[in-house]
Amino acid sequence: MEIDAPPPPAAALQRKQSAYLSLDETFQIRKETYRGQQYSQIYFARLHMMRTLLYSLVPNLKPHVPVCTVLGLEGGKECIIVGTLYKHMKLKPTILDEYSKERSAVPLVKLHNFMHPDDHLVLEDESGRVKLSGSLFSPASYVTGVVVALHGKETDAGDFLVQDVLEAGLPSQLEFPLKSREDKYVVLVSGLNIGSSTCNPLQFQLLVDHITGHLGDEQEQGIAAEIVHVVIAGNSVEIPRGILNRQNLASKDLSTLSEPIKELDILLMQIAAGLPLDIMPGPNDPANFSLPQQPLNKCLFPGSSAYNTFKSCTNPHCFELDNIRFLGTSGQNIDDLDKYSEAKNKLEFMERTLKWRHLAPTAPNTLGCYPFADRDPFLIESCPHVYFVGNQDKYETQMLKGSEGQLVRLISIPKFCETGTAVVLNLKNLECHTLTFGTSV
Amino acid sequence: MATRSANMKGFFKQKKNTKSTSSKKGSSKRSPTNASTVGSNVTQPPALISHGSIDLKDDHDQAEEVLRQFDMNMAYGPCLGMTRLSRWERAQKLGLNPPKEVEILLKGDRASSECLWDGRV
Repeated sequence: MEIDAPPPPAAALQRKQSAYLSLDETFQIRKETYRGQQYSQIYFARLHMMRTLLYSLVPNLKPHVPVCTVLGLEGGKECIIVGTLYKHMKLKPTILDEYSKERSAVPLVKLHNFMHPDDHLVLEDESGRVKLSGSLFSPASYVTGVVVALHGKETDAGDFLVQDVLEAGLPSQLEFPLKSREDKYVVLVSGLNIGSSTCNPLQFQLLVDHITGHLGDEQEQGIAAEIVHVVIAGNSVEIPRGILNRQNLASKDLSTLSEPIKELDILLMQIAAGLPLDIMPGPNDPANFSLPQQPLNKCLFPGSSAYNTFKSCTNPHCFELDNIRFLGTSGQNIDDLDKYSEAKNKLEFMERTLKWRHLAPTAPNTLGCYPFADRDPFLIESCPHVYFVGNQDKYETQMLKGSEGQLVRLISIPKFCETGTAVVLNLKNLECHTLTFGTSV
Repeated sequence: MATRSANMKGFFKQKKNTKSTSSKKGSSKRSPTNASTVGSNVTQPPALISHGSIDLKDDHDQAEEVLRQFDMNMAYGPCLGMTRLSRWERAQKLGLNPPKEVEILLKGDRASSECLWDGRV
Protein backbone atom coordinates (compact mmCIF):
# COMPACT_ATOMS: atom_id res chain seq x y z
CA MET A 1 0.00 0.00 0.00
CA GLU A 2 1.39 3.27 -1.02
CA ILE A 3 1.51 6.00 1.46
CA ASP A 4 1.40 9.37 -0.04
CA ALA A 5 4.75 10.97 0.45
CA PRO A 6 4.47 14.07 2.58
CA PRO A 7 4.57 17.23 0.48
CA PRO A 8 8.06 18.71 0.16
CA PRO A 9 8.69 21.41 2.74
CA ALA A 10 7.66 24.74 1.24
CA ALA A 11 10.43 27.26 0.84
CA ALA A 12 9.72 30.38 2.85
CA LEU A 13 8.24 32.99 0.56
CA GLN A 14 10.21 36.20 0.34
CA ARG A 15 8.36 39.47 0.02
CA LYS A 16 9.48 41.67 -2.85
CA GLN A 17 10.94 45.06 -2.13
CA SER A 18 11.01 48.38 -3.86
CA ALA A 19 12.99 51.59 -3.50
CA TYR A 20 11.04 54.31 -1.72
CA LEU A 21 11.75 58.02 -1.90
CA SER A 22 9.64 60.56 -0.04
CA LEU A 23 9.00 63.93 -1.71
CA ASP A 24 6.88 65.45 1.05
CA GLU A 25 9.27 68.24 1.86
CA THR A 26 7.24 70.97 0.17
CA PHE A 27 4.20 70.03 2.22
CA GLN A 28 5.89 70.15 5.58
CA ILE A 29 5.57 73.29 7.64
CA ARG A 30 8.52 73.55 9.93
CA LYS A 31 7.87 76.82 11.69
CA GLU A 32 4.13 77.21 11.62
CA THR A 33 3.25 80.63 12.96
CA TYR A 34 0.19 82.78 12.58
CA ARG A 35 1.48 86.34 12.75
CA GLY A 36 -1.41 87.84 10.86
CA GLN A 37 -0.26 86.79 7.41
CA GLN A 38 -2.72 87.41 4.66
CA TYR A 39 -3.68 85.10 1.84
CA SER A 40 -2.80 87.67 -0.80
CA GLN A 41 0.77 86.40 -0.57
CA ILE A 42 -0.07 82.85 -1.63
CA TYR A 43 -2.22 84.15 -4.48
CA PHE A 44 0.67 86.34 -5.64
CA ALA A 45 3.09 83.41 -5.58
CA ARG A 46 0.59 81.27 -7.47
CA LEU A 47 -0.12 83.94 -10.09
CA HIS A 48 3.56 84.66 -10.62
CA MET A 49 4.60 81.03 -11.06
CA MET A 50 1.69 80.17 -13.34
CA ARG A 51 1.94 83.37 -15.34
CA THR A 52 5.62 82.82 -16.08
CA LEU A 53 4.68 79.35 -17.24
CA LEU A 54 1.75 80.49 -19.35
CA TYR A 55 3.76 83.27 -20.96
CA SER A 56 6.19 80.63 -22.16
CA LEU A 57 3.41 78.39 -23.50
CA VAL A 58 1.21 81.02 -25.14
CA PRO A 59 3.54 81.96 -28.05
CA ASN A 60 3.45 78.34 -29.22
CA LEU A 61 -0.32 78.15 -29.23
CA LYS A 62 -1.26 81.62 -30.40
CA PRO A 63 1.79 83.20 -31.94
CA HIS A 64 0.41 86.44 -33.32
CA VAL A 65 -1.84 87.60 -30.54
CA PRO A 66 -0.36 90.23 -28.20
CA VAL A 67 -0.32 89.64 -24.46
CA CYS A 68 -1.33 92.40 -22.07
CA THR A 69 -2.38 93.04 -18.48
CA VAL A 70 -5.96 93.60 -17.39
CA LEU A 71 -5.53 97.35 -17.07
CA GLY A 72 -3.88 97.48 -20.47
CA LEU A 73 -6.96 96.20 -22.28
CA GLU A 74 -8.09 98.31 -25.19
CA GLY A 75 -11.63 98.11 -26.42
CA GLY A 76 -12.14 95.89 -29.43
CA LYS A 77 -8.54 94.76 -29.72
CA GLU A 78 -7.86 91.04 -29.62
CA CYS A 79 -5.33 90.03 -27.00
CA ILE A 80 -4.42 87.47 -24.39
CA ILE A 81 -4.69 88.16 -20.69
CA VAL A 82 -3.43 85.97 -17.86
CA GLY A 83 -4.82 86.10 -14.35
CA THR A 84 -6.55 84.32 -11.51
CA LEU A 85 -10.19 83.39 -11.96
CA TYR A 86 -12.72 84.43 -9.38
CA LYS A 87 -16.15 82.87 -9.53
CA HIS A 88 -18.89 84.99 -8.11
CA MET A 89 -21.43 82.57 -6.65
CA LYS A 90 -24.80 83.66 -5.38
CA LEU A 91 -25.34 80.65 -3.17
CA LYS A 92 -21.88 80.42 -1.68
CA PRO A 93 -22.21 80.71 2.09
CA THR A 94 -20.54 83.82 3.47
CA ILE A 95 -19.98 84.84 7.06
CA LEU A 96 -21.91 88.02 6.35
CA ASP A 97 -25.14 86.08 6.03
CA GLU A 98 -25.18 85.87 9.79
CA TYR A 99 -25.56 89.62 9.94
CA SER A 100 -27.93 90.09 7.06
CA LYS A 101 -31.32 91.41 7.92
CA GLU A 102 -33.29 88.96 5.81
CA ARG A 103 -32.15 85.95 7.76
CA SER A 104 -35.51 84.33 7.64
CA ALA A 105 -35.42 84.31 3.84
CA VAL A 106 -32.24 82.25 3.69
CA PRO A 107 -33.09 78.58 3.25
CA LEU A 108 -32.02 76.44 6.14
CA VAL A 109 -31.41 73.40 3.97
CA LYS A 110 -27.69 72.89 3.57
CA LEU A 111 -26.86 72.48 -0.09
CA HIS A 112 -24.32 70.02 -1.28
CA ASN A 113 -23.45 71.99 -4.37
CA PHE A 114 -23.50 75.78 -4.43
CA MET A 115 -23.79 76.33 -8.14
CA HIS A 116 -26.40 78.59 -9.65
CA PRO A 117 -27.09 79.57 -13.26
CA ASP A 118 -26.30 83.21 -12.45
CA ASP A 119 -22.68 82.52 -11.45
CA HIS A 120 -20.18 84.53 -13.40
CA LEU A 121 -16.42 84.59 -13.65
CA VAL A 122 -14.02 87.47 -13.19
CA LEU A 123 -10.35 87.50 -14.17
CA GLU A 124 -7.98 89.28 -11.84
CA ASP A 125 -4.31 90.21 -11.83
CA GLU A 126 -2.34 92.81 -9.87
CA SER A 127 -3.52 95.67 -12.02
CA GLY A 128 -7.24 95.03 -12.02
CA ARG A 129 -10.13 92.74 -12.69
CA VAL A 130 -12.49 92.26 -15.59
CA LYS A 131 -15.78 90.42 -15.85
CA LEU A 132 -15.80 87.57 -18.33
CA SER A 133 -18.51 86.78 -20.80
CA GLY A 134 -18.84 84.45 -23.72
CA SER A 135 -21.10 81.60 -24.60
CA LEU A 136 -18.43 78.95 -24.99
CA PHE A 137 -16.93 79.67 -21.61
CA SER A 138 -19.09 78.04 -19.01
CA PRO A 139 -18.46 78.97 -15.37
CA ALA A 140 -19.69 75.52 -14.36
CA SER A 141 -16.33 73.87 -14.89
CA TYR A 142 -14.17 76.52 -13.25
CA VAL A 143 -13.55 77.55 -9.67
CA THR A 144 -11.95 80.49 -7.91
CA GLY A 145 -8.19 80.29 -7.79
CA VAL A 146 -7.38 78.79 -11.17
CA VAL A 147 -4.81 80.69 -13.24
CA VAL A 148 -5.53 80.63 -16.97
CA ALA A 149 -4.74 82.57 -20.13
CA LEU A 150 -7.73 83.91 -22.03
CA HIS A 151 -7.85 84.94 -25.64
CA GLY A 152 -10.53 87.45 -26.50
CA LYS A 153 -11.35 91.11 -26.62
CA GLU A 154 -12.93 93.78 -24.51
CA THR A 155 -16.51 94.65 -25.41
CA ASP A 156 -18.24 98.00 -25.24
CA ALA A 157 -20.02 96.93 -22.08
CA GLY A 158 -16.64 96.72 -20.35
CA ASP A 159 -16.39 93.00 -19.97
CA PHE A 160 -14.08 90.60 -21.72
CA LEU A 161 -15.54 88.38 -24.40
CA VAL A 162 -13.68 85.08 -24.27
CA GLN A 163 -12.89 83.36 -27.55
CA ASP A 164 -10.54 80.70 -26.24
CA VAL A 165 -9.18 79.38 -22.96
CA LEU A 166 -5.59 78.27 -22.61
CA GLU A 167 -4.83 76.12 -19.62
CA ALA A 168 -1.32 75.12 -18.66
CA GLY A 169 -1.97 71.48 -19.48
CA LEU A 170 -0.27 68.49 -17.94
CA PRO A 171 3.27 69.17 -16.72
CA SER A 172 6.17 67.24 -18.16
CA GLN A 173 6.66 63.76 -16.82
CA LEU A 174 9.79 61.79 -16.10
CA GLU A 175 9.95 58.70 -18.20
CA PHE A 176 8.20 55.65 -16.86
CA PRO A 177 10.90 53.16 -15.89
CA LEU A 178 10.48 50.17 -18.14
CA LYS A 179 13.09 48.00 -16.53
CA SER A 180 10.77 46.77 -13.76
CA ARG A 181 9.49 43.66 -15.44
CA GLU A 182 8.07 41.81 -12.49
CA ASP A 183 4.68 42.21 -10.87
CA LYS A 184 4.82 44.34 -7.76
CA TYR A 185 1.68 45.58 -6.11
CA VAL A 186 0.79 48.62 -4.05
CA VAL A 187 -2.33 48.56 -1.90
CA LEU A 188 -4.23 51.85 -1.57
CA VAL A 189 -6.98 52.07 1.01
CA SER A 190 -8.80 54.91 2.74
CA GLY A 191 -11.75 55.69 4.98
CA LEU A 192 -11.16 52.90 7.51
CA ASN A 193 -13.13 54.86 10.14
CA ILE A 194 -12.04 52.60 12.98
CA GLY A 195 -14.07 53.35 16.06
CA SER A 196 -17.23 54.18 14.16
CA SER A 197 -20.37 52.24 14.95
CA THR A 198 -20.94 51.35 11.31
CA CYS A 199 -17.46 49.97 10.76
CA ASN A 200 -17.02 46.22 10.87
CA PRO A 201 -13.60 45.51 12.36
CA LEU A 202 -13.49 42.09 10.74
CA GLN A 203 -13.23 43.61 7.26
CA PHE A 204 -10.01 45.48 7.95
CA GLN A 205 -8.62 42.52 9.88
CA LEU A 206 -9.21 40.37 6.80
CA LEU A 207 -7.38 42.92 4.66
CA VAL A 208 -4.45 42.98 7.08
CA ASP A 209 -4.34 39.20 7.16
CA HIS A 210 -4.36 39.02 3.40
CA ILE A 211 -1.59 41.59 3.00
CA THR A 212 0.62 39.94 5.61
CA GLY A 213 0.09 36.52 4.11
CA HIS A 214 -1.87 34.92 6.91
CA LEU A 215 -4.78 34.03 4.68
CA GLY A 216 -5.13 31.35 2.12
CA ASP A 217 -2.92 28.67 0.69
CA GLU A 218 0.51 28.94 -0.88
CA GLN A 219 -0.71 30.39 -4.10
CA GLU A 220 -2.57 33.15 -2.33
CA GLN A 221 0.42 33.78 -0.10
CA GLY A 222 2.52 34.06 -3.21
CA ILE A 223 0.26 36.83 -4.46
CA ALA A 224 0.48 38.58 -1.11
CA ALA A 225 4.28 38.35 -1.23
CA GLU A 226 4.22 40.58 -4.28
CA ILE A 227 2.64 43.47 -2.35
CA VAL A 228 5.48 45.90 -1.69
CA HIS A 229 3.77 48.92 -0.13
CA VAL A 230 0.56 49.99 1.60
CA VAL A 231 -0.80 53.55 1.59
CA ILE A 232 -3.66 54.57 3.86
CA ALA A 233 -5.18 57.74 2.45
CA GLY A 234 -6.94 59.42 5.36
CA ASN A 235 -9.89 59.03 7.74
CA SER A 236 -8.43 56.09 9.56
CA VAL A 237 -10.18 56.77 12.84
CA GLU A 238 -13.49 58.12 13.91
CA ILE A 239 -13.22 59.77 17.29
CA PRO A 240 -16.53 59.97 19.16
CA ARG A 241 -16.81 63.73 19.08
CA GLY A 242 -20.08 63.78 20.97
CA ILE A 243 -18.11 63.22 24.14
CA LEU A 244 -16.12 66.38 23.57
CA ASN A 245 -19.27 68.47 23.61
CA ARG A 246 -20.10 67.55 27.19
CA GLN A 247 -19.33 69.84 30.08
CA ASN A 248 -16.94 67.62 31.98
CA LEU A 249 -14.69 64.89 30.71
CA ALA A 250 -14.60 61.98 33.11
CA SER A 251 -11.56 59.76 33.07
CA LYS A 252 -13.71 57.05 31.56
CA ASP A 253 -14.42 59.43 28.67
CA LEU A 254 -10.72 59.97 28.08
CA SER A 255 -10.18 56.29 27.57
CA THR A 256 -13.22 56.12 25.27
CA LEU A 257 -11.73 58.90 23.17
CA SER A 258 -8.45 57.10 22.72
CA GLU A 259 -9.92 53.65 22.02
CA PRO A 260 -10.10 54.02 18.22
CA ILE A 261 -6.48 55.14 17.95
CA LYS A 262 -5.28 52.23 20.07
CA GLU A 263 -7.23 49.80 17.94
CA LEU A 264 -5.76 51.32 14.78
CA ASP A 265 -2.26 51.09 16.24
CA ILE A 266 -2.64 47.37 16.90
CA LEU A 267 -3.81 46.76 13.35
CA LEU A 268 -1.11 48.92 11.80
CA MET A 269 1.54 47.13 13.85
CA GLN A 270 0.60 43.91 12.10
CA ILE A 271 1.08 45.53 8.70
CA ALA A 272 4.23 47.46 9.62
CA ALA A 273 5.85 44.25 10.83
CA GLY A 274 5.71 42.93 7.31
CA LEU A 275 6.04 45.71 4.79
CA PRO A 276 6.38 49.49 4.40
CA LEU A 277 3.30 51.45 5.32
CA ASP A 278 2.40 55.12 4.73
CA ILE A 279 -0.43 56.71 6.65
CA MET A 280 -1.87 60.07 5.63
CA PRO A 281 -4.17 62.26 7.74
CA GLY A 282 -7.69 62.93 6.52
CA PRO A 283 -10.48 65.38 7.32
CA ASN A 284 -11.61 63.41 10.40
CA ASP A 285 -8.23 62.43 11.76
CA PRO A 286 -6.51 64.01 14.78
CA ALA A 287 -4.31 66.28 12.69
CA ASN A 288 -4.46 69.96 11.83
CA PHE A 289 -7.38 71.17 9.78
CA SER A 290 -5.84 73.35 7.10
CA LEU A 291 -3.99 71.95 4.13
CA PRO A 292 -1.28 70.76 3.88
CA GLN A 293 -2.12 68.52 6.82
CA GLN A 294 0.94 67.63 8.82
CA PRO A 295 1.86 64.01 9.57
CA LEU A 296 -0.01 62.32 12.40
CA ASN A 297 2.08 62.44 15.52
CA LYS A 298 4.17 59.35 16.19
CA CYS A 299 3.03 59.33 19.82
CA LEU A 300 -0.40 58.25 18.60
CA PHE A 301 1.13 55.01 17.34
CA PRO A 302 3.45 53.75 20.07
CA GLY A 303 3.47 50.22 18.75
CA SER A 304 3.71 50.87 15.02
CA SER A 305 6.27 53.65 15.16
CA ALA A 306 8.77 51.22 16.63
CA TYR A 307 9.07 49.77 13.12
CA ASN A 308 11.06 51.71 10.58
CA THR A 309 8.62 50.58 7.91
CA PHE A 310 5.93 52.76 9.46
CA LYS A 311 5.86 56.24 7.99
CA SER A 312 3.47 59.00 8.94
CA CYS A 313 3.05 61.32 5.95
CA THR A 314 1.53 64.65 5.04
CA ASN A 315 -1.66 65.19 3.13
CA PRO A 316 -1.09 65.75 0.13
CA HIS A 317 1.50 63.01 -0.17
CA CYS A 318 4.09 62.67 -2.89
CA PHE A 319 6.57 59.83 -3.14
CA GLU A 320 8.41 57.62 -5.58
CA LEU A 321 8.46 53.84 -5.62
CA ASP A 322 11.04 52.37 -7.98
CA ASN A 323 11.13 55.74 -9.76
CA ILE A 324 7.37 55.76 -10.33
CA ARG A 325 5.96 58.99 -8.98
CA PHE A 326 2.82 58.89 -6.85
CA LEU A 327 0.81 61.93 -5.82
CA GLY A 328 -2.35 61.78 -3.77
CA THR A 329 -4.63 63.42 -1.25
CA SER A 330 -7.21 62.30 1.27
CA GLY A 331 -10.02 63.80 -0.74
CA GLN A 332 -10.49 67.34 0.56
CA ASN A 333 -9.39 69.00 -2.68
CA ILE A 334 -11.73 67.01 -4.93
CA ASP A 335 -14.65 67.21 -2.51
CA ASP A 336 -14.31 70.97 -2.45
CA LEU A 337 -14.26 71.13 -6.24
CA ASP A 338 -17.43 69.08 -6.20
CA LYS A 339 -19.16 71.71 -4.11
CA TYR A 340 -18.32 74.60 -6.39
CA SER A 341 -18.28 73.16 -9.89
CA GLU A 342 -19.58 70.17 -11.76
CA ALA A 343 -18.14 67.33 -13.77
CA LYS A 344 -19.35 63.95 -14.93
CA ASN A 345 -17.35 62.07 -12.31
CA LYS A 346 -14.61 62.54 -9.75
CA LEU A 347 -11.96 61.51 -12.25
CA GLU A 348 -12.84 64.53 -14.35
CA PHE A 349 -12.14 66.80 -11.37
CA MET A 350 -8.80 65.08 -10.94
CA GLU A 351 -8.01 65.55 -14.61
CA ARG A 352 -8.82 69.26 -14.31
CA THR A 353 -6.52 69.74 -11.34
CA LEU A 354 -3.71 68.18 -13.35
CA LYS A 355 -4.42 70.37 -16.36
CA TRP A 356 -4.52 73.45 -14.17
CA ARG A 357 -1.28 72.18 -12.56
CA HIS A 358 -2.69 72.89 -9.13
CA LEU A 359 -3.76 70.31 -6.55
CA ALA A 360 -6.23 72.47 -4.68
CA PRO A 361 -7.21 75.62 -6.58
CA THR A 362 -10.00 76.45 -4.15
CA ALA A 363 -7.48 76.83 -1.32
CA PRO A 364 -7.49 79.28 0.45
CA ASN A 365 -10.86 80.56 -0.76
CA THR A 366 -13.12 77.77 0.45
CA LEU A 367 -10.60 75.16 1.54
CA GLY A 368 -8.57 75.87 4.64
CA CYS A 369 -4.91 76.40 3.93
CA TYR A 370 -1.84 77.66 5.78
CA PRO A 371 -0.98 81.24 4.72
CA PHE A 372 2.25 80.61 2.85
CA ALA A 373 4.08 83.80 1.98
CA ASP A 374 6.83 82.79 -0.34
CA ARG A 375 5.47 79.83 -2.31
CA ASP A 376 2.42 77.84 -3.26
CA PRO A 377 3.15 74.20 -2.41
CA PHE A 378 0.13 72.86 -4.26
CA LEU A 379 1.50 73.67 -7.70
CA ILE A 380 2.26 70.48 -9.57
CA GLU A 381 5.70 70.82 -11.11
CA SER A 382 6.22 67.32 -12.46
CA CYS A 383 3.46 65.07 -13.68
CA PRO A 384 2.95 62.02 -11.47
CA HIS A 385 2.56 58.54 -12.90
CA VAL A 386 -0.15 57.71 -10.38
CA TYR A 387 -2.59 60.26 -8.98
CA PHE A 388 -4.95 59.04 -6.25
CA VAL A 389 -7.69 60.59 -4.16
CA GLY A 390 -9.09 58.92 -1.05
CA ASN A 391 -12.42 58.82 0.75
CA GLN A 392 -14.59 58.84 -2.33
CA ASP A 393 -17.95 57.17 -2.75
CA LYS A 394 -16.96 54.63 -5.34
CA TYR A 395 -13.97 53.11 -7.05
CA GLU A 396 -13.13 54.63 -10.42
CA THR A 397 -9.99 54.57 -12.46
CA GLN A 398 -8.79 55.88 -15.79
CA MET A 399 -5.59 56.25 -17.74
CA LEU A 400 -5.09 59.87 -18.73
CA LYS A 401 -3.02 60.74 -21.77
CA GLY A 402 -1.29 64.10 -22.04
CA SER A 403 -0.38 66.08 -25.13
CA GLU A 404 3.32 65.29 -24.76
CA GLY A 405 2.84 61.60 -24.22
CA GLN A 406 2.38 61.70 -20.47
CA LEU A 407 0.42 58.80 -19.02
CA VAL A 408 -1.20 59.13 -15.62
CA ARG A 409 -3.22 56.51 -13.79
CA LEU A 410 -6.07 58.31 -11.98
CA ILE A 411 -7.53 56.41 -9.05
CA SER A 412 -10.51 57.29 -6.89
CA ILE A 413 -10.24 55.19 -3.72
CA PRO A 414 -13.58 54.32 -2.10
CA LYS A 415 -14.27 54.48 1.62
CA PHE A 416 -13.32 51.12 3.07
CA CYS A 417 -15.83 51.17 5.91
CA GLU A 418 -18.72 51.50 3.48
CA THR A 419 -17.58 49.40 0.56
CA GLY A 420 -15.01 46.99 1.99
CA THR A 421 -12.92 47.70 -1.09
CA ALA A 422 -9.22 48.44 -1.35
CA VAL A 423 -7.38 49.24 -4.58
CA VAL A 424 -4.38 47.24 -5.74
CA LEU A 425 -2.06 48.76 -8.33
CA ASN A 426 0.49 46.81 -10.35
CA LEU A 427 3.73 48.75 -10.68
CA LYS A 428 4.73 46.90 -13.83
CA ASN A 429 2.01 48.32 -16.08
CA LEU A 430 0.00 50.64 -13.78
CA GLU A 431 -3.08 48.45 -13.98
CA CYS A 432 -5.54 48.50 -11.14
CA HIS A 433 -7.90 46.04 -9.62
CA THR A 434 -9.94 45.98 -6.44
CA LEU A 435 -9.80 43.78 -3.40
CA THR A 436 -13.16 43.51 -1.69
CA PHE A 437 -13.89 41.86 1.62
CA GLY A 438 -17.43 40.92 2.48
CA THR A 439 -18.44 39.80 5.91
CA SER A 440 -22.14 39.23 5.52
CA VAL A 441 -23.14 35.64 5.86
CA MET B 1 -2.61 119.86 9.14
CA ALA B 2 -0.09 122.23 10.63
CA THR B 3 1.35 125.10 8.69
CA ARG B 4 5.03 124.86 8.74
CA SER B 5 5.91 128.49 9.30
CA ALA B 6 3.60 130.96 10.91
CA ASN B 7 5.05 134.05 9.32
CA MET B 8 4.83 132.71 5.75
CA LYS B 9 1.03 132.51 5.83
CA GLY B 10 -0.51 133.58 2.61
CA PHE B 11 2.74 133.39 0.72
CA PHE B 12 2.72 129.63 0.27
CA LYS B 13 -0.45 127.61 -0.17
CA GLN B 14 -1.33 125.92 3.07
CA LYS B 15 -0.57 122.24 2.61
CA LYS B 16 -2.14 119.49 4.64
CA ASN B 17 0.26 117.24 6.42
CA THR B 18 -0.36 113.89 4.73
CA LYS B 19 1.20 111.72 7.39
CA SER B 20 -1.35 110.25 9.77
CA THR B 21 -0.72 109.87 13.46
CA SER B 22 0.54 106.52 14.53
CA SER B 23 -2.01 103.99 15.65
CA LYS B 24 -2.88 104.27 19.31
CA LYS B 25 -3.31 100.55 19.70
CA GLY B 26 0.06 99.73 18.19
CA SER B 27 2.39 97.69 20.34
CA SER B 28 4.29 99.68 22.86
CA LYS B 29 7.55 98.21 21.63
CA ARG B 30 7.43 100.28 18.46
CA SER B 31 8.07 103.98 18.69
CA PRO B 32 5.71 106.05 16.56
CA THR B 33 7.74 106.74 13.45
CA ASN B 34 5.07 108.73 11.70
CA ALA B 35 3.80 111.05 14.38
CA SER B 36 3.16 114.57 13.27
CA THR B 37 3.74 117.54 15.47
CA VAL B 38 0.80 119.84 15.47
CA GLY B 39 1.15 123.54 15.71
CA SER B 40 4.71 123.83 16.89
CA ASN B 41 7.51 125.43 15.09
CA VAL B 42 10.23 123.36 16.67
CA THR B 43 11.16 121.30 13.65
CA GLN B 44 10.86 124.04 11.11
CA PRO B 45 12.29 127.18 12.55
CA PRO B 46 12.15 129.95 10.01
CA ALA B 47 15.91 129.98 9.70
CA LEU B 48 15.86 126.67 7.85
CA ILE B 49 13.37 127.85 5.29
CA SER B 50 15.81 130.37 4.12
CA HIS B 51 17.59 127.65 2.14
CA GLY B 52 14.75 127.77 -0.32
CA SER B 53 12.66 124.67 0.16
CA ILE B 54 10.39 123.40 2.85
CA ASP B 55 11.64 120.27 4.51
CA LEU B 56 8.65 117.95 4.19
CA LYS B 57 10.35 114.71 4.91
CA ASP B 58 9.84 114.52 8.64
CA ASP B 59 11.33 111.46 10.19
CA HIS B 60 12.35 109.40 7.24
CA ASP B 61 15.39 109.86 5.15
CA GLN B 62 16.64 108.93 1.73
CA ALA B 63 17.11 105.26 2.67
CA GLU B 64 13.58 104.94 3.95
CA GLU B 65 12.32 106.56 0.76
CA VAL B 66 14.02 103.87 -1.32
CA LEU B 67 12.51 101.18 0.88
CA ARG B 68 9.05 102.71 0.58
CA GLN B 69 9.32 102.67 -3.18
CA PHE B 70 10.24 98.99 -2.89
CA ASP B 71 7.14 98.40 -0.75
CA MET B 72 4.86 100.10 -3.24
CA ASN B 73 6.20 98.30 -6.29
CA MET B 74 3.47 95.91 -7.39
CA ALA B 75 5.82 93.68 -9.33
CA TYR B 76 7.08 92.15 -6.09
CA GLY B 77 3.61 91.41 -4.79
CA PRO B 78 1.68 92.69 -1.80
CA CYS B 79 3.79 94.12 1.02
CA LEU B 80 1.40 93.78 3.97
CA GLY B 81 1.93 90.94 6.38
CA MET B 82 5.57 90.27 5.54
CA THR B 83 8.81 91.76 6.71
CA ARG B 84 10.64 93.72 4.00
CA LEU B 85 13.57 91.35 4.03
CA SER B 86 11.43 88.24 3.55
CA ARG B 87 9.60 90.00 0.72
CA TRP B 88 12.95 90.83 -0.87
CA GLU B 89 14.05 87.22 -0.49
CA ARG B 90 10.84 85.99 -2.02
CA ALA B 91 11.30 88.31 -4.98
CA GLN B 92 14.82 86.98 -5.33
CA LYS B 93 13.62 83.38 -5.19
CA LEU B 94 10.93 83.96 -7.80
CA GLY B 95 13.50 85.44 -10.17
CA LEU B 96 12.19 89.01 -10.13
CA ASN B 97 15.65 90.58 -9.66
CA PRO B 98 14.90 93.03 -6.88
CA PRO B 99 17.42 95.90 -6.57
CA LYS B 100 20.53 95.00 -4.66
CA GLU B 101 20.65 98.30 -2.79
CA VAL B 102 17.40 97.44 -1.01
CA GLU B 103 19.01 94.28 0.33
CA ILE B 104 22.03 96.22 1.51
CA LEU B 105 19.82 98.75 3.28
CA LEU B 106 17.73 96.06 4.94
CA LYS B 107 20.69 94.05 6.11
CA GLY B 108 22.43 97.18 7.31
CA ASP B 109 20.02 97.28 10.28
CA ARG B 110 19.40 101.02 10.07
CA ALA B 111 16.09 100.67 8.29
CA SER B 112 12.71 99.59 9.56
CA SER B 113 12.10 95.91 8.95
CA GLU B 114 8.36 96.22 8.60
CA CYS B 115 6.59 97.60 5.58
CA LEU B 116 5.13 101.04 5.10
CA TRP B 117 1.59 100.07 6.10
CA ASP B 118 2.50 98.01 9.11
CA GLY B 119 0.41 99.05 12.10
CA ARG B 120 -1.45 101.62 10.03
CA VAL B 121 -3.94 99.36 8.29
